[in-house]
Amino acid sequence: MTAPPSTSNPVSAPVSVEVPAKIPDDFGFTDDHALLRDTARRMMVDRCPLSEVRRLAGDPVGFDPDLYRELAELGWTGLLIDEKYGGAGLDTLSMALILEQTGRALLPGPLWSTIMAALAIDSAGSEEQKQRFLPALARGEAIGALAWSEPGGSWQPDGVNATAGKSPDSDGDGAGYLLDGVKTHVLWADRADVVVAPFVIGDELSLFAIETATTGLAIESENSVDPTRRTARVVFDRVRVPEKARLSAGHAGSWRALHVRGYALLAAETLGAADAILALTRDYACERIQFNRPIGAFQAVKHPLVNVLIAVERARSLVAGAVAGLDGPSGAEISPAVEISARMAKAQATEALNFAADRGIQLHGGFGFTWDCDAHWFFKRALWSAATLGDAIHHRRHLAAYLLGR
Amino acid sequence: MESRQSSQSLQSTGSPESAEHRQFRAGVRAWIADNKPAQPDFMLPQSFLEVETEAQFDYLRRWQKQLYEAGYLGFDVPREYGGQGVDSARQSIVQQELGRAGAPFFVNQIALQWVAPTILTYGTEEQKKRLIQPLLSADEIWCQGFSEPGAGSDLASLQTRANAVEGGYRVTGHKVWTTLAHFARWMILLARTDPEADRYGGLSYFLFPMDTDGVVIQPLVKMTGEGGFNQVLFEDAFMPSDSLLGAEGQGWKIAMTTLTFERGAAQSQNRERAAADARALSELVALVRSTMRDGRPVGDDALFRDRLAALWIELEAIRLGARRASVAGLTADHPHALAMMHKVEFSEFRQRLNRLACEVLGPEAMLWLGDANAPDRAEWPRGLMNSYGFTIGGGTSEIQRNIVGERVLGLPKSK
Repeated sequence: MTAPPSTSNPVSAPVSVEVPAKIPDDFGFTDDHALLRDTARRMMVDRCPLSEVRRLAGDPVGFDPDLYRELAELGWTGLLIDEKYGGAGLDTLSMALILEQTGRALLPGPLWSTIMAALAIDSAGSEEQKQRFLPALARGEAIGALAWSEPGGSWQPDGVNATAGKSPDSDGDGAGYLLDGVKTHVLWADRADVVVAPFVIGDELSLFAIETATTGLAIESENSVDPTRRTARVVFDRVRVPEKARLSAGHAGSWRALHVRGYALLAAETLGAADAILALTRDYACERIQFNRPIGAFQAVKHPLVNVLIAVERARSLVAGAVAGLDGPSGAEISPAVEISARMAKAQATEALNFAADRGIQLHGGFGFTWDCDAHWFFKRALWSAATLGDAIHHRRHLAAYLLGR
Repeated sequence: MESRQSSQSLQSTGSPESAEHRQFRAGVRAWIADNKPAQPDFMLPQSFLEVETEAQFDYLRRWQKQLYEAGYLGFDVPREYGGQGVDSARQSIVQQELGRAGAPFFVNQIALQWVAPTILTYGTEEQKKRLIQPLLSADEIWCQGFSEPGAGSDLASLQTRANAVEGGYRVTGHKVWTTLAHFARWMILLARTDPEADRYGGLSYFLFPMDTDGVVIQPLVKMTGEGGFNQVLFEDAFMPSDSLLGAEGQGWKIAMTTLTFERGAAQSQNRERAAADARALSELVALVRSTMRDGRPVGDDALFRDRLAALWIELEAIRLGARRASVAGLTADHPHALAMMHKVEFSEFRQRLNRLACEVLGPEAMLWLGDANAPDRAEWPRGLMNSYGFTIGGGTSEIQRNIVGERVLGLPKSK
């Protein structure tokens, strides 16, 4: 050996980097899940082809209410809601598999926002509040929205400045709250019947379920980069809501837990979109002939597509891990392990869709840059997905804190 | 690398297991704790690619033999051939525990992971009875004679000839990058038996005895200065007829089976690798925590933190992928993608990890093996250099991307 051995300097002591979420070897996947996934895939292929996405992108409403009602009849809107409130009471994996298919189709419409609003009310509402909102949301008769962000651009659950103050009985309908503040980028708020939003009371965070018919509430449509994702600014200027609008268990803890569920479920949808733009680009690489051969035969095209596949498959593994963690024995409690898994899934799914859409535009060549090519819908969804609930850098920042202990 | 204390902060508890498997895991863990050999006073190789000296070889061979004799090796081999009977869950558990404990690797890796499954698939009863047990016990070491000076990525262009003669074959040719040839009793040899046939159909697959006249083994030195691989010259070397595996002309097909195992078809192998990679990342985290730059911990630097978190995500994706690969319902979109991507993923992960470590070391990254002040005995720059053995050996990352692109994505063949 030319290099003599050294006997000093023990290697630095290791720390554990294993994510300890307890998940079963099969990730909880059963034949029922396969059936659900295949049904959802077929439904989306039949009812939401890219031509339909294109049509709805220019539609004033932005989604097909008939299709939305059909999806509700299939149980998708109430999938995670308990049967006693009109839902199906299925697991997170079932929901994730469906969202992967709606993401694959770039389904325009308020499915994810309604699911998240319902989850908020389900996890933080009183029995009365659940009875009031959940059956209508589960049946697709009402649309839900969830206000994640405020002006200033924070993805932190505690980045809440909007306030709620006690308001005495003024016109005989009991005591209530006065809400002040602005919520931004609220998905489908302009079509929603109920918006769930956090407000600060004193120095405590509290969740409210606010009916959009409430007097004084201003909902101003934004111009979203992704026309299949319509967003709005919701302005509260001394908006008076009744006492019962405050979700009884809607505290900082449940708000954070809702974020973690949101990371995993949005990651599932993002993953589907990434795999779909990969497939679209792959098909084009097989069809487009240059230099007398399909461009996919060139390694300069082939290898980037494989790199996209690797990114997509990584996201798929991490989404499966995060979802299985959420379905794990800890129940409603979100352990650090589950939070880590969900952040990893969100970070990787975001990266995968960004990368897949980036290569999708580039490898379609001149056509890829046009309005007529469908690649740009995925590119726009990628921008929306990264901007919602944290991009990859945001989640890696939090993951590093876990890994390094500070 | 040597085993050290372990932090409890994010300690894995694994997945829910049957009581029987839990008990088995506890037994394995205890056995490893009791029997793991002490760090020797010489430098150990980082992987089976760099086993150079007799002392390194003896140390590693003893460890594999000890594990085999304790009944912890061979859960993918039926009992009649010297294995433990097929129980992949147990093999996975053993591999995970070995990876977790930072135990030495198996020196007969080529035999265990690639040769044994190939012989079990294509071998005669006699070949299985004769060859499998001694490879499990490390009594007989195997090397692989595929690449040639003129046949690397284009393996099917190989020119080594095996001419049928009375009672067997005579081999003439030149193989390179032959890991462990200097310790091997056997070689899996891909040679041309019919020069008239097409480039694939003229190839046959042999189980070649290395203790034959006319075999010259010349060591090659790696960029690190370490040995471990060789070139092997065949000068009219004789092998008996029963050296042939499968039929004449079937060599390419059998070689592809071997390469599939080499590149990650065996999920228990991938899970072990993921456990070892977790260990490597945990050592990098420890390095980041203990390294100061300009009076501040490197771990406070947002750029390093971001890349460290990215590696963690990558590791977890590979780890979960090794599990997901065996769940049919979760691989429906791209069947076989995980197994076929695995080699690119783990080899490039290791390269990135060692690269980041060298950057964390900063000015100290220049110190090399043997320097008393080299942090972590210069394992990081050594690991970075040795990582190219994995991105090149067994099919380069570029060839792997062609294969994945063509077989998984269905893209047209590159000409």
